[in-house]
Amino acid sequence: MSQASAIPRISLTWLLVAQVLVIIPHLSHLPLWVIGLWLGSAAWRVQIFRMRARYPNAWAKGGLMLAAALGVFLSRGSLIGLDAGVVLLVAAFVLKLLEMRTRRDALVLVFLGFFVVVTAYLFDDSMLMAFYSLLPVTALLAALIGLQQSNLATQPWPTVRLAGGMMLQALPVMLLLFVFFPRMGPLWSLPVPNDKATSGLSDSMTPADIADLSRSAALAFRASFNGETPPRSELYWRALTFDRFDGRRWSQSDYAEFAPAAQWQKQGEPVSYSIVMQPSSQRWLFALDVAETTLEQTRQMSDFRLQRRQPVDRSLIYQATSWPQALRETQPSTESLRRALQLPEQGEPRSRAWAEQLKRDYPQPEQLVQAMLSHFNQQPFAYTLRPPALGQNNIDDFLFETRSGFCAHYAGAMTYVLRAAGIPARVVAGYQGGEYNPAGNYVQVRQFDAHAWVEYWQSGRGWVSVDPTFQVAPERIESGLEDALSGEQTFLEDSPFSPLRYRNLSWLNELRLAWDNINYGWQRWVLGYQSQQQLEFLQRWLGRVDAQTLVMGLVGGGGLLLGLLALWLFKPWQRERDPQQRVFQRFERLLARHGVTRQPGEGPRDYAARAALQLPAQAQAIQAFALAFEAQRYAGQATSVAELHLCLRALRLSLPWRLTRLES
Amino acid sequence: MAAFKPYWNRWLSRRIPVAASVRLNQRRIFIIPSQVGLAFMAALLLMLLAAINYQNSLAYALTFLLSSVFVVAILHTYRNLAGLILKAGAAPAVFAGEPATFRVRLESSARAHQAVSLGWPPAALQTLDVPAAGQVECQLNLPTTQRGWLRPGRLRVESRFPLGILVAWSWVDLDQQVLVYPRPLAGDLPLSAGASDDQEEEGSRAHGQGVDDYQGLKSYQPGDSKRRLHWKAYSRGQGLLVKDFASITGRDLYLDFESLGGDVEARLSLLCHWVLQLSERQQPFALSLPGQVLAANTGELHRDACLRALALFGRGV
Repeated sequence: MSQASAIPRISLTWLLVAQVLVIIPHLSHLPLWVIGLWLGSAAWRVQIFRMRARYPNAWAKGGLMLAAALGVFLSRGSLIGLDAGVVLLVAAFVLKLLEMRTRRDALVLVFLGFFVVVTAYLFDDSMLMAFYSLLPVTALLAALIGLQQSNLATQPWPTVRLAGGMMLQALPVMLLLFVFFPRMGPLWSLPVPNDKATSGLSDSMTPADIADLSRSAALAFRASFNGETPPRSELYWRALTFDRFDGRRWSQSDYAEFAPAAQWQKQGEPVSYSIVMQPSSQRWLFALDVAETTLEQTRQMSDFRLQRRQPVDRSLIYQATSWPQALRETQPSTESLRRALQLPEQGEPRSRAWAEQLKRDYPQPEQLVQAMLSHFNQQPFAYTLRPPALGQNNIDDFLFETRSGFCAHYAGAMTYVLRAAGIPARVVAGYQGGEYNPAGNYVQVRQFDAHAWVEYWQSGRGWVSVDPTFQVAPERIESGLEDALSGEQTFLEDSPFSPLRYRNLSWLNELRLAWDNINYGWQRWVLGYQSQQQLEFLQRWLGRVDAQTLVMGLVGGGGLLLGLLALWLFKPWQRERDPQQRVFQRFERLLARHGVTRQPGEGPRDYAARAALQLPAQAQAIQAFALAFEAQRYAGQATSVAELHLCLRALRLSLPWRLTRLES
Repeated sequence: MAAFKPYWNRWLSRRIPVAASVRLNQRRIFIIPSQVGLAFMAALLLMLLAAINYQNSLAYALTFLLSSVFVVAILHTYRNLAGLILKAGAAPAVFAGEPATFRVRLESSARAHQAVSLGWPPAALQTLDVPAAGQVECQLNLPTTQRGWLRPGRLRVESRFPLGILVAWSWVDLDQQVLVYPRPLAGDLPLSAGASDDQEEEGSRAHGQGVDDYQGLKSYQPGDSKRRLHWKAYSRGQGLLVKDFASITGRDLYLDFESLGGDVEARLSLLCHWVLQLSERQQPFALSLPGQVLAANTGELHRDACLRALALFGRGV
């Protein structure tokens, strides 16, 4: 039995190959020593196979495992949590090589390998990763085949072909399962990968934060509109508002978190769209102005933002409908207005003075706002991502000295002055615009589209949005950051190879848009195929979705697919291609029903002779068939199966009818 | 379980009738997940749990892919056995204690069959490949303990190819049997040479050696022992000559069951030994068993007849 349970050379090779393939996607988040551990273990295992080294004894194994655990603790600071857990899993996967003596151990290694592939998906679930992971899975299946004691298993190419072929044949059933298998919510909560560096808006803002975001081409979200995509200048994606200013930093007061939802009235044409959001580690969602969403566990807060109960730590799909002309909070609570007037006790004397001046000149808030906007428009204000440094009174410095900055400067300064003039106002943070992808008819919004604008409250009209940046750099709003910065070459200056910098190369740009479109489809239809999407998808195609349809779809579809596969695998139409032989088999069956079974090794002539003896009444017909068969089969006469059929029919007719009835 | 054995056997013999040649088809092949397959399922379940808890579509997809591979493997494992034809080969007689060798020919009607294992559990199975449209002969050994006909029972044919997660098997009865001769045991033999006609010679003994005189050479006849071929003469080109010996007694020897002591098996073993010895020396002998007498003769046919009589003595077959 030891011969049978030893691991064949080919299987060991496959396992080593599979290990490399399984570990590669983890390289980005594995400490380096795990690679060393793998190299050492693989070399040791190969030496064991070549009888140059021995298996480690119990002490060595225990020591290695302890060392690995210690290594994980030192490099990850913990033994629990997803990151540490995955490193431990990979370390176990590697060390298992050293105690792999029997086929059973090899199987454990293969199953561990499948599991390690699954953990890789938690860190990267892109389409490329999905296709790449077919490689380690094929290698693991090949290792399973390699464990068989067959000559085929010793040849690498047929083994891979068999493993790959089986995977291809499994594909239709897999798709069926993927579509119909009911998705459910998490059974218990698990740690999520925390090395995903998520950049994005945070719950407070200084101009420098926005400037950081402007350097990143990372995707924030993509949005598809049902119907026509609105022009870019109308795409103000609200994330959250800042109502507190400490002289340097705008932030959100706790009040906004706990205040009751604000009232608003739907007005005008609604706009519906679906958004696929990248993980942001924050709880707010993105939507145009005031929106409603069907997403569960999400509510509208007092500043009209949409907020989820849990942070968005994996990509999220939701539908939303916005009313851009909605009337927002025409009767606000005094508390919310009071908060929209908060300012630091002192500082910014020139700004305050200017606010007093404006207030005197323009008693109506609307006029005052217009005056400020034209001030930004007509005075030499500049839009730049490299503003000069600002001093202690940074709003004064900005408004009256440097006069150059970007959205955060303009929005912050305007809100400050409005408040100083007694008009309730707040800064809205979010994204503006986005790149329209004509291939997929959707808008992709990246981190550099981050934007800040102003919302002020006016009696009778409620909250009104204004964007001072538009007065300074309308091209920022109408065509995007790149055009707004065309003079100073600061667009994505940290990433010279970003394809976004080469949008003027039309073929490259089309390629990039097409690729992004594919990824968007992947995210919407594959990664986002969870409970709600599944329900919607099935309802669209099947009309009605309940347990019965799911089971019927799975069982019926699975049976059909497997039946087709079986037909293809067994090719029953090829089984007896010889028509003469087939007629002879019918002859045999016919006689067998009348009690004359052909003996093994009995030739057609002997059989016919014996049958003729047992059924003397039909002797003539039997002999006639046998003669015709022999003549066609062995005497090389022109083949006419029809003649054989005639003979058979004559025989059948000559036999007692009761049994012939049974036969047919 | 033992109580179901007869029912199981009856059902099995209806389903897979005894025949010297069996073609495996859907009626004759059974298939279930192997232990490895159960472990595989457990691993899949773990992966599914991870997919559910992390709401990860790719983890779902891989779990479903491997589940589908499992289902597809059913077809592959079945296909690996289906269409395989097993044919019984000749099984030469052996002496008790020696392993009996059964020959089974595996034929492929179309496709190749990989890693097909044959054997009679609990003995270890023998694994081999059958090439496409080809055939392979396989020798299966079975230990023997007692004389008579040895019927090995149903032969297990199984295959776990390609992934080892499923086992497809069949129990076929190729109607094979092997004749087991008694175990030869050396010992002295009270000779009753030609007892039926020469009573007065009773008591003369055959000796292990030196009984024979070399008489000369005679030309080879089919049936002569090849051990006595005179190779030197053959190498000189004188043709096949056989060294001719003559027995001292000059009469046929008579091996008599009744004249021996000890229990039946011991007597048969002793007789077996002497049948072999005398045949070796090409000395004619007769064999007498209760109810059966084989007249004096020589040659391989005679020897085999005697051994057969010894093997089946009292067995009623």
